[in-house]
Amino acid sequence: MAQTVNINGKSYEIDVDGSMPLLWFLRDKLELTGTKFGCGMAVCGACTVHLDGQATRSCVIPVSVVAGKSITTIEGLSENHDHPLQKAWLKNKVPQCGYCQAGQIMNAASFLSQNPTPTPEEIDTAMQGNICRCGTYQRIKVAISEAALELGKEV
Amino acid sequence: MTIENVSRRKFIKQSGMAVGGLWLGIALPNVAMAKIGLATEAVFNPNAFIHIATNGDTLIYCGRCEMGQGISTALPSAVADELEADWSRVSIKQADGNEELYGPQATGGSASIRVMYIPMREAGAAAKAMLIAAAAKKWQVSAKDCYADSHFVINRTDNSKLSYGELASLAADMPVPENVELKAKADYKFIGKDLARHNQGDIVNGKLTYGVDTKMPGLKYAAVVHCPVFEGKLKSLDKTAALAMKGVEAVVEIPRMEVPFGSIGGVGVVADNTWTAQQAIKKLVIEWDLGPNKNYDTKAYKAQLVKNVESPAEKAAERGDIEQAFANAKHKISATYTGGHLSHSPMEPNASVVWVQENSCEVWAATQSPADIQKVLAQYLGREPKDILVHVTMAGGAFGRKFKCDYVQEAAALSKAVNAPVQLTWSREEDTRTGYYHSINAQHIEAAIDEEGNVTAWLHRAAFMPIASLFNGQVDRAPATSLSDIFNHPFGIQNVRTETGEAKRHTRIGWYRAVYAIFYGFAFGTFADEMANKVGKDTLTLLNNIYDNNKDPKQAIQVRRSKGALALAAEKSKWFSRDKLPENQGIGIAVHYSFETYVAMAVLVEVNGDDIKVLEVDCAVDCGQVLNVDSATAQMEGAVVMATALSLRTEIVFRDGAVVNSNFHNYPVLRINEMPKVRAHFIDNGDKPTGLGEPGLGPFPAALSNAVFAASGKRYRDLPFKPSTV
Repeated sequence: MAQTVNINGKSYEIDVDGSMPLLWFLRDKLELTGTKFGCGMAVCGACTVHLDGQATRSCVIPVSVVAGKSITTIEGLSENHDHPLQKAWLKNKVPQCGYCQAGQIMNAASFLSQNPTPTPEEIDTAMQGNICRCGTYQRIKVAISEAALELGKEV
Repeated sequence: MTIENVSRRKFIKQSGMAVGGLWLGIALPNVAMAKIGLATEAVFNPNAFIHIATNGDTLIYCGRCEMGQGISTALPSAVADELEADWSRVSIKQADGNEELYGPQATGGSASIRVMYIPMREAGAAAKAMLIAAAAKKWQVSAKDCYADSHFVINRTDNSKLSYGELASLAADMPVPENVELKAKADYKFIGKDLARHNQGDIVNGKLTYGVDTKMPGLKYAAVVHCPVFEGKLKSLDKTAALAMKGVEAVVEIPRMEVPFGSIGGVGVVADNTWTAQQAIKKLVIEWDLGPNKNYDTKAYKAQLVKNVESPAEKAAERGDIEQAFANAKHKISATYTGGHLSHSPMEPNASVVWVQENSCEVWAATQSPADIQKVLAQYLGREPKDILVHVTMAGGAFGRKFKCDYVQEAAALSKAVNAPVQLTWSREEDTRTGYYHSINAQHIEAAIDEEGNVTAWLHRAAFMPIASLFNGQVDRAPATSLSDIFNHPFGIQNVRTETGEAKRHTRIGWYRAVYAIFYGFAFGTFADEMANKVGKDTLTLLNNIYDNNKDPKQAIQVRRSKGALALAAEKSKWFSRDKLPENQGIGIAVHYSFETYVAMAVLVEVNGDDIKVLEVDCAVDCGQVLNVDSATAQMEGAVVMATALSLRTEIVFRDGAVVNSNFHNYPVLRINEMPKVRAHFIDNGDKPTGLGEPGLGPFPAALSNAVFAASGKRYRDLPFKPSTV
């Protein structure tokens, strides 16, 4: 029986060579293009998704490895695009070109789920793997801090 | 500028645009276009369209390309302000490539706002006047008795209202007013405010599609590898192993196309997904004939450029008598500055979809210049430019790289070979190794200073592969015109000579955000600091003195605005309290005028041993009227991020003709933990607005070098200061 993977709450059959990185399974097979290709070697973070809730670089993880597991992409982060991070991103007008932002948000979401009250230094450390060439870092830091406060209220 | 009511024009029906309501086309006069080198024939070429539908939905077509600079929000917001539109009713559509409809669309040189601001406002004002005229006619009152507010025209006599939707069709029958009155600054609703980008919702939801994201039935995916050395060729190719891979459809030789924006030459693989194509590329057995540039080595080349500027070179321009001034000088000072190649490295690698069919060619591309795609593909396919249909997607960063459409031409070659739509995505490695680079450069300055500390003579030699070398391989040094920014720099120095040193072409040079302003700004700003130290003045005083010595009435505005920016940067930063900084901290200041915009920066650093940490940057900007304060601030933040990396460590290195860097691990752009606190301060002087995409890069490297010197006494004269190892 073919292996399956759960993506954003839906089950998909893995009908490709198992060594294909998850990134290309998402983009070219499922046409979920919110997850971006940036470097292909896990050094830029544009392809970040959640694997069982943990931020993972989808460009280097073979799709066979995620069989039976749960993947969340930017398209599935929130039901109404109202995750506190997404709201904080809009409020602080973070994006310029926007290409890296899905990866930034996914990385930040996983980080905040583990560290709901981060210091600025902890944000720096957690977000170091995500490159933004337009230079939106200052706003990313503010947005993550604000989202952390918002998440704190929700608990 | 011409505004034409095109509501009944045939092309509206033909182009698939919605029929009905009010359509206005905006065309710039050819004089304005000629000024920025984009003259067109004397026909009505709208640069933008406004459509007000009968339900009030308002659509603004943006002809300029969006790559994150915010132009597709800024310009439409200027239309909407004059139109008295309800912003929530306005949507924005990126126009397809079509010079006949939109006029020149090439987006570069920080020109969009400079050129389009007034025309866009006038178009909005014209549409408003026509809506008011329509309402006045309906109510049988004078237009003076009506006013517009938030998508309604209101009758002053009885406060009755008609919506823009109700008026649109009637307005389409009104004449376009010959003269329109623009709003007073106090009445702006959107201009100068901080409207959010129109597409940011789709960005945070992952819905916005870029050049890499186009999908369609029957789409095939491709990867490419290029000859690593510029002007090299394919010698032999064994494609057996690649073709044996499951999912690989074709291996295609792509010869070098001998035009500046054509393919550098390589081999492409078409497969049923991108990853398979990328894997198959690795299985190709290729032998290259490396050609005439196989010995290009940037370390040796840079050393040669230094020699070329430290000895007499070819005169570019001269005024006064520098020999006499040097003979009378109290102080003489000289320094040599260098800079390396840079790669644009936008986060979205080069990508497009092209579908070449017998009678059509359709393109979906992240691009800065759809017209160049039309030209290059027309030439490649032996067709007419108008027969190449280009859909412009959002670009995931560009910085000058996506002005050149070699990647689109390659996709066309692959589509032609497999007779299907092909999406070609370059790998990061190909983007880094076979791009169009910011030029390696060297500059040597000698100055004479008199008893009172006035700079009396300036000899400036520069050597770099100019942009001109992209278009003509015989160009062996920068032409005199490329040094005019040195000669015309608003420093008040009477005796000046500029010279251009030999710099033969060995790679592809292409516009990189801010272009020559990166190294000219570095040399002027750093040398000013060095002169100040020589004569025992502070840099701000010395700079003000040099500007005050400029008595040329033609440069009075440049002098005033440069000084204004400097003063603001000093005031907003810790410049005046720099004596109180901790011992390992220092502040540096510099100003640079480029692309008609003035930016001064005060940079605060902390230096511990060899480690340089940028703490704070205060940017003082004079770009005239600011269209969107938030977006303008973002441009400063971005300029600081890019300039910090290129000042401190990023450099493209060539050895044996080929680029050694390959990806972000050895082309280490800035990361979040190194982000300084950036503050942008705008001089709100009501002058005509100018662009901001590039000018932020000019002053930063010098301000940083000056700050490090203030903190540590160590002077960095080479960009990058501490090259990362590759």
